[in-house]
Order: sequence, then structure tokens, then C-alpha cells
Amino acid sequence: MDALFIEFYHNTGFYLWDYRYLIMIVVGLVFIYLGIAKDYEPLLLVPIGFGILMGNIPVFQGLGLSIYEDNSVLHYLYFGVTQGIYPPLIFLGIGAMTDFSTLLARPILMLLGAAAQTGIFITFLGALALGFAPNEASSIGIIGGADGPTAIFLTAKLAPHLIGPIAVAAYSYMALVPVIQPPIMRLLTSRKERLIRMEEPREVTKREKIIFPIVAFLLCCFLAPAALPLLGMLCFGNLLKEAVVTERLAQTARNALIDTATILLGITVGASTQGDIFLVPSSVGIFALGALSFSIATASGVLFAKVMNLFLKTKINPLLGAAGVSAVPDSARVVQMVGQKEDPTNFLLMHAMAPNVSGVIGSAIAAGVLWSLMA
Amino acid sequence: MYGLEAINANNGWAISVVGVSIVFSGLVMLSLVISQLHKVLALWEDPSKIKALFKAKQSEDQSDKLQEKEIVDQAVFTESQKEVVRQFGLLIRTMEDHFSLPRLLHLAQISDLKNPHSNLNNLLETKIIIPDGSGFFTWEKETFDKAIL
Repeated sequence: MDALFIEFYHNTGFYLWDYRYLIMIVVGLVFIYLGIAKDYEPLLLVPIGFGILMGNIPVFQGLGLSIYEDNSVLHYLYFGVTQGIYPPLIFLGIGAMTDFSTLLARPILMLLGAAAQTGIFITFLGALALGFAPNEASSIGIIGGADGPTAIFLTAKLAPHLIGPIAVAAYSYMALVPVIQPPIMRLLTSRKERLIRMEEPREVTKREKIIFPIVAFLLCCFLAPAALPLLGMLCFGNLLKEAVVTERLAQTARNALIDTATILLGITVGASTQGDIFLVPSSVGIFALGALSFSIATASGVLFAKVMNLFLKTKINPLLGAAGVSAVPDSARVVQMVGQKEDPTNFLLMHAMAPNVSGVIGSAIAAGVLWSLMA
Repeated sequence: MYGLEAINANNGWAISVVGVSIVFSGLVMLSLVISQLHKVLALWEDPSKIKALFKAKQSEDQSDKLQEKEIVDQAVFTESQKEVVRQFGLLIRTMEDHFSLPRLLHLAQISDLKNPHSNLNNLLETKIIIPDGSGFFTWEKETFDKAIL
């Protein structure tokens, strides 16, 4: 009987524990705290946080419990991440939720979404300089797109062994948008610039909204075919929404489908951060470069808006440039928040959604470009 | 391999430049297309606007003609200019209906008309002399009568 107890004890987490698991459990708890108490991207941080807890329960090998064991349930669910299945499903839902009206009303703001993607390529160079292989550097750079699904999708294709740290870094920085972006925005703009009011956008017709996803899809995918899975689903989702006659499908895409995909993606990405695999020096480098990427992306957008103002008759508020990173709609909300601190009657949210959604398109194109160049 | 050496070895600069360029090209093209989309749709929804565009062009042409007419109507010659214009008229009578402008100028010079170049220019501006479209010019008697008599 003693032998049975001892055998059982040897199979428990208390016997198998390692300090690295403990560190990751603390990280998981912080994620859950930030999601619930601070309301930072709760739909992402709570599943990822709990996934981190699930992935860091010390288990013995062979029973099919760890996400890295071929016969485990988590491994099967993780298949959707490693094969890049969940991100396009999430993009379908995002498309079915997104209203492109402000973008259609002021297409010039789309350039801010392009400018913010500069951060991806500058970080790509930084990662190469730190000794990462080109495929790994591409996956790290895409964190600057501030788009979790895109980062996971590209990493699954180019550097599957880095999915854990890259996904956690991408979602962490997306959740920390309200903390990371405002200081950069204030540093790069004067008070006078932050006070600029935007013109009322023109009214957009239903027909324009229906045609836009088709035109955007054809144009962008002919230019960067590798962006097809993400942009195709994004535009298809948007067409379902705007077509009206497919409202039932749009409802499913923006509710049940995206929620299911987010839950599965969050849990499995979290569970993939197993302490002994996750806590390695390269993860620290990825986190540092991810922060750099995100900051450069924000700064690029703001600075590009200032450059545009040199040529535009009607000036745009350069804070909008920060919304070029595709953390929808958080970075647009941050623009609104920073703008209203200077002038509580200045409403920038609606205008910031234009670069914000173009950032989604821009980061998907950037991912497609990197994939096709590295594949 | 680290630093610039690693970037150069992996063709990092070129990849970055190409990547940024493609992202910008894609979004610039898309923004150009959607900036014109509502105009194209407006024409599609109401084809009469296309006709209106042509009509507007025609009416512009007509108003140009009217303006020209007004120029003629408003043309004011001094007495000495009127005299020279009459002399030009006499010279033209000695020529064919469709005459050459250099020939007219030559005749004006040898006939010792006053300021032949500027006066000939006045005749052209006031449409008293007009091109016939084949390199020659004709004398518009009606316009001459209105301006001079």
C-alpha cells in the first residue's frame, strides 16, 4: 500500500514540479488578472492565461496529457494553430464585425495603416541582427502588426517552434496597447497637433460597402497571393455582413464561429507555453523585439501622419497614425483617449477606425509577402 | 552571425525594402480605387449624368463662342487703327478669297501701312480675319462692318 502511495506521489505535480512551471503559472495568473480586473483584452487574455495554467501542470510523459504529445487531446486542438486553421476563421469573424465606412469615406487614411507596418520590417532586420534565422525573424517582426491571428498564422507557416512565445508576445502587447502607445504618441506630437479636429466623413452608400470587400480582396491578393487565407476570409466575412441577405451567416461568423476559434486558439496557445520549452533565452529576445516592433509601428504611423500633413490642405490629427497598428479596436480607442485628454469635445474614434482596419489589411499583406519570400 | 553581417548575409535590406514597398503599393492602389468608387457608382446609378457631362462640355463650347462674339462686339478701334483696318480691307480685295497671311503682311509692308504686324494681329484677334482650316485665311465682312462702321 505504501508503494502504491509512493508511486501515485511520483505521478503528481507536486513531485514533478520545476521552478519554470511555477514561473509560467504566475504569468498565467497575471494574464487572468489583467483580463478580468483591468479589462485588458479579456476575450484573449483569460483563455490564454488559463491555457498557460493548463500547459504548466507538470505531467509525466506517455499518458497523452501534454500538448506536445502526439496522442493528447490538447495536441489535436493545437493542430488548428500549427496548421494555421484558427487565424483565418478569426479573420472571417473580424470581417463580419468590421464596418469599413470610415475607410471608404476617407481612403487617404489607409496610408497610415501601411506606414505602421514599417515596424514589422524594421524589427525583421533587428531580429536578423540578433542572430535569428530569416524565417524566425519574419515571424518575430510580424508581432509589430499587433495582430495576434496574423502573427500565429505566419509563425505556424515559417517557424512553428516559436508559436508559443510569439503568440504570447503578440497578444500581450495587443492587451497592453493602452499602456505602450500613449507615451509614444505624446512624445511625437505637439499639443497643437493633438488638438486638430477631423472633418466629418461623407456618407457611404450600401453599394460601396458591398463592392469594397470584393475589390479589396481581388486587388490585394493579386498583389500578394500569400495573403489569400487571411484576406480572403476577412473580405468574405465583410461581404456576408454587408450583403444583408446573408445576415444569418454573418451572425454565425461574428458570434459563434469567432468565439469558438478564439477559445480554442487562446487555450492551446496558452497551453503551448510549457515552462521547460517556453522559458529559453530566445523567448526573452522575442519579447524584447516584440516590444520594439510594436513601438516602432506606433511611431511610424504617427510620423507618417505628420509627413502627410506637410502636403495636405486639410490637416489630419497625427494621433490617428497610432491606430495604423491593427489591434482592432483598441488602438483606435487609445487614439480617442489621448485626443480627448487634450480636448474632451474632440471625437477621433470614428476617424481612427479607418487606419485601424487598414492596418488589418496591411499586416495581412505583410504576412503574405514575408511568407512568399521565406517559403 | 550577428549584426549587419547577418542582415547582409540574409539579404535583409532588400527583403525589407521590397516588403514595405509591396504593402504600400497594395494599400495605395486600394485607396486610389476606393476614392473613385463612389464617383463611378454615381454614374452607374444615374447614366443621365454621363450625358449631362457631355452636355456641359457642349454648353462650354457654346459659351466660348459667345465669349468670342462678345470680344468682337466689344472690340474698339481707335480712328487711326480703323483707317489701317480699312487699308487692309482694300489690300485683301486685290487678293484671292482665301489668302495667305505672309502674303498679306508683305503687301502691307510694301504699301507702307502703319504697324503692319500689330494691326494684322488685331484683325486676327477680333476675328475680322479668320483661318479657313487649310492654312489660308478669309475676310469676314460682317465682322469688319460691325467693328469699323
